[in-house]
Parts: sequence; C-alpha cells; structure tokens
Amino acid sequence: MLAQLLVSGVSQGALYALVALAMTVIYRATTVINFGHGDLVMAGAFVVYLLVVLAGAPFLISALLAVVLLFAFGVAVYKGLIRPIMAGPHLALAMMAVAVGYALRGLARVVWGREVLPFPKVLPQGTFMVGPVILAPSDLIVTGSVIATVAILAIVFYATRLGKTAQAVFQSERGAALVGINVSAFQGTMWGIGAAMAALGGILIAPVTLLYPDLAASTLIRAFAAMTLGGFGSFLGAAVGGMLLGLSELLVGAYISSKLIDITAYLIIIGVLLIRPSGLFGRQAVVRV
Amino acid sequence: MQPSIDVTAPPTTGGPSRRIFWIIPLALLGLPFFLNDYTQYIVNLILVYVLVGVGFNIVLGNLGQLAFANAAFYGIGAYATAILLYHYKVPLLLAIAAGSIAGGLAGALVCLPVLRGIRSFYLAIITLAFGELMRWVYINAETWTLGSMGLHVPRPVLFGWVLATEKQKFYLFLVIVTLIIAATSNLLRSRVGRAFMAIRDNELAAASMGVPTALYMVLAFAWSGFVVGTAGALYAVLVRQVSPEAFNLLELIVHFGIVVVGGLGSLAGSIVGAVALTMAPELLRDLPGYEELMIALMMILVLLFLPGGLATLLERATSLFRQTYYRD
Repeated sequence: MLAQLLVSGVSQGALYALVALAMTVIYRATTVINFGHGDLVMAGAFVVYLLVVLAGAPFLISALLAVVLLFAFGVAVYKGLIRPIMAGPHLALAMMAVAVGYALRGLARVVWGREVLPFPKVLPQGTFMVGPVILAPSDLIVTGSVIATVAILAIVFYATRLGKTAQAVFQSERGAALVGINVSAFQGTMWGIGAAMAALGGILIAPVTLLYPDLAASTLIRAFAAMTLGGFGSFLGAAVGGMLLGLSELLVGAYISSKLIDITAYLIIIGVLLIRPSGLFGRQAVVRV
Repeated sequence: MQPSIDVTAPPTTGGPSRRIFWIIPLALLGLPFFLNDYTQYIVNLILVYVLVGVGFNIVLGNLGQLAFANAAFYGIGAYATAILLYHYKVPLLLAIAAGSIAGGLAGALVCLPVLRGIRSFYLAIITLAFGELMRWVYINAETWTLGSMGLHVPRPVLFGWVLATEKQKFYLFLVIVTLIIAATSNLLRSRVGRAFMAIRDNELAAASMGVPTALYMVLAFAWSGFVVGTAGALYAVLVRQVSPEAFNLLELIVHFGIVVVGGLGSLAGSIVGAVALTMAPELLRDLPGYEELMIALMMILVLLFLPGGLATLLERATSLFRQTYYRD
C-alpha cells in the first residue's frame, strides 16, 4: 500500500515539478513571477488536442509542434509585452502576466465553449506489476520525461556558456549588459524555454486529468506550492518541492481524508511562508522594517 | 502637540469644492426612470463592482501591497450576509452590516503574513492560497453554506417593505455605495491615507519618520476587507444566489482588471474601471471567450500605453478629478 502510494506520488509530483521548474526558469532570468503560467500549460495541451483530434496529426509531431509554437509565443510575449514595462513596478509585471494568461483562456474558450474534453489516449494504456506495486507505462513515460528535462536543465545551467550567462544576468542585469551580454535576447530565450516547458507539462498532464480551460488555476497554485516549499528561485527546490507535494497529496488523501487532497497545496503555501519563508533551498524572502 | 507628516498645503487655488461630487449620486436618483429591469440589474451590478474596485485599490494602489485575497473578502461578505438571511432571518441592514464586518475581520486576518514580513510575490501567493482555501471552506461547511449547491437568499425585506424589483434595490445600493465612497475618500485624504502612501513609496522611510507602519497596514487591510465585504453582501442581496464558484480565481482576475484598467491608487479610477469591466462582459455574454479576451485586451493596452489607467484620461479632461491629498 505504502509503496504503491509512493510510486504514484512521485509520478504525480514529477508533473508539478516540471511546471514549477518552468516558472523558475522565467523567474531566474527576469525576476518576474509568471502568474499566467497555468494558462500556458493549458495552451500547450490545447494545441496538441486541436492537432490530434481535429487535424488528425500523429501525437509526437503534434507535441513537437506545440512545444515549438509555445516557445515562439513565450519569446513574443517577452519582446512585445514584458520588455517594454520591465523598468516599471513589480505590480505591473504581475498584471501583464495575468492579462496574457487571461487572453489565452479567452482564446481557448472561443474555440472550445465551456466543455470538459477527454484528452485522447496518446500514452500507452494498461498496467504491469513489479513486486507488490502496480505500474502504468504512462506514469513511467511522464516521470522519465520530467527527469530528462531536469537533467537537460542542469547541464544547460551548470555546464554551458548559456548557464554562465544566466548566472550573470541573475546576479546583475546591468553588470551583465556591461560585459557585453545581450540581456534582452537572453531573457527572451528564457521566456521561450519557460513557455515550451509549460507546453510539455500540459501535454503530459492532460492525459492524466481532463482538459478544460480551468485546468490553469489548479496547476498554477500547485506550481506555486512546489516553488514555495523548495524555495523560490532554486531549481533543485522546485524539483524536490514538486515531488514532495505530489507525495504529500497522496499520503494525506490515503491516511487522513480525501477531502484534504485539494487543499494540501494551499496549506503547504501558507504553512511554509509563515514558518520558513525561504523554503528548503531558497534565499531570505522576508522584509524586516 | 501632534507630530505631523503633512507636507505644507499649497495655498487654496480656488478650485471647485469637493462638495460638488454629491451631485453625482443625486443625479443618479433619476436613473431608474430610464431603465428597464434588465439594464437596472446591470447598473446594480456595477454599483457592487464599484465597491469591489474601491476596496481592492486601497490595498493594491494606496498601500502598494500585492495581496490577492479580494475574492475571499467578497465571498466572506456574501456568505455572512446570505447565511444570516437564510438560516436566521436577520433584518436586512443588520445582515449587510455583518457581511461588511466579516469582510473587515478577514482583511485584518490576511494582514498577518504582512506583519510577518512577507511582501511582493510571496504575499501574492499566500493570499491566493487563502482565497482558494476559503472556497474549499464554502464547499465543505455544508451545514451553513449548503456546499457547492449554494445558498438561495430569501427576498430582501427592508423595514417590512419587500424589495421586489431591481429599482427598489438600486436606491438601497446607491445610498450604501455613496456613503462608503465618501468615507473612503475622506480616509484617503486624511493623515491615515497619506500614511498608506508613505508606506507604499518607501516603507523603511515611513517607519523612520515615525509612521507606525504595522498599525496602518492592519487598518488598510481591514478597511479594504470591509468595503469589499459590503460589496459581497450587496451581491448576495442582488443575485440572491451565493455559491462557491462565484468567488474563484477568475472572479479575482476581474477584480484585478477593474483596478488596473481604472487606475492604481485612484478612487475615481476604480469607479470608471468597474463600469467598463462590468458592461463589457454583459455586452459580449452570448459569445463564450470574448469577455475574457476583451478584459485581457483592456488590461494589456492600459499597461502598455496608459500606466495610470483610465483615471489619467479623466484627470486630463477636467481638473475636477485630480486628487489632492491635503485639505483645501
């Protein structure tokens, strides 16, 4: 029983980790929290749905197209909407992110109406046993893709020139610009990567849950919970936080009450921020006056 | 001897007195004669959202804190009023007052993390979580809220007189909204309001000038909650159906949009924003998705080209709406 819960919790948590990591990429690059991120996740899944169900394209090609499309969208949002107001207050940036997400939701509704759609069964079905634990191939694929993404991110951020650029820009935008780094191009790329990762998250989440425009809200809050638990701005924190959130949701549901599954994320956010605002791996997050 | 944080008031310019603003509600008294029942309902809804905007703007615009618990204040006010009317048959005005006070208490509660030093995005996230947590409470506290079905509020009765039509509700709403806006306007132009803005502009500087920042923050949050709680109470009376879905994240985005489009920190802006964002979706309600697109587009355009919101246009058009934060 416990082993089964742990396995399911990890595969659920891997999805949260992926979305939280995507938000961390954007946060690290531009110090903007993307409040519209849940809608990017939804948009990624939605594009695949359109291509697979309505246009009859094969799943892998559709997924690839969706990721590329969302990458371009992320870059465009940064260049057209975020960059012009970067110098303004945090509040305006948060608002812009909310507005972009809201527009995406509207766009989905125009095509979609208010229906909840079952996502096509694109991942292999069925289950098999390993010892006492039931495993589904789809869980393995999801977890595997997340681990691969984390590995790629780790390599990019810690072993390449782009990673060094990221460190420099995160420490001081002005300083980075002074030594000849094209900060604007770099941040645009990072928004693109964040959006592409969101799309990947959506493509992996949608077959598990159902697909509907309000998917965004619950995804967003869970990603926040993962980031808060792990510590804002920490890649390791986002990954570990996501896993822990997935595990705790299942454990709370199994051992305390299934009614509490929905609010585990909220309780984690409130508890962590009140008791230890820097999370597990984060930096000081509190203002003292 | 009181220490003063006033800047010296410039000499009176002989501009129009603020008293002329009382003309607006007086003129609105005649409005129902030109409206049918449906358009009257929209106007009543606008009055509700005016309070939503005015209350949210206190925390976002005047105090400058990124607190997103507004939909929670709104819901708490609505549920408090609806529960008192439905289960306990409390008189209408008392139930509305209870909704306002419940909202105010919720505001003070949400201020706790601020006092713990949580600001900016962290505050945004913890308040978002609080709002969603409240929605779970509405669904699960079935004894009082009847769960996700929602509460059906009985016909409002004011001093033995049934408010059967939208027009009758309008007069009640107009009085309450006018009083609250006048009170908020006075509060923001007083020493208290200036302290809010001092905290917004530089908390450390305000504290070192001797402004008791913690006290004023609690006050701002509590008043914001009170105003939005009143909006929730009026919503319960207007729609007569209170269910958890009315207070979700999407509702919060509409509240946010009202403040952004109207103008951060502007009382007149909140009012204009409420009118714009309540009417636009009503015009587009038969086309799913377009109301979201419309609201998002308005927000994006304002953020890019009109950072002060529609209030900037008002101020440009006439000096009447220019805000002064000293007594003249």
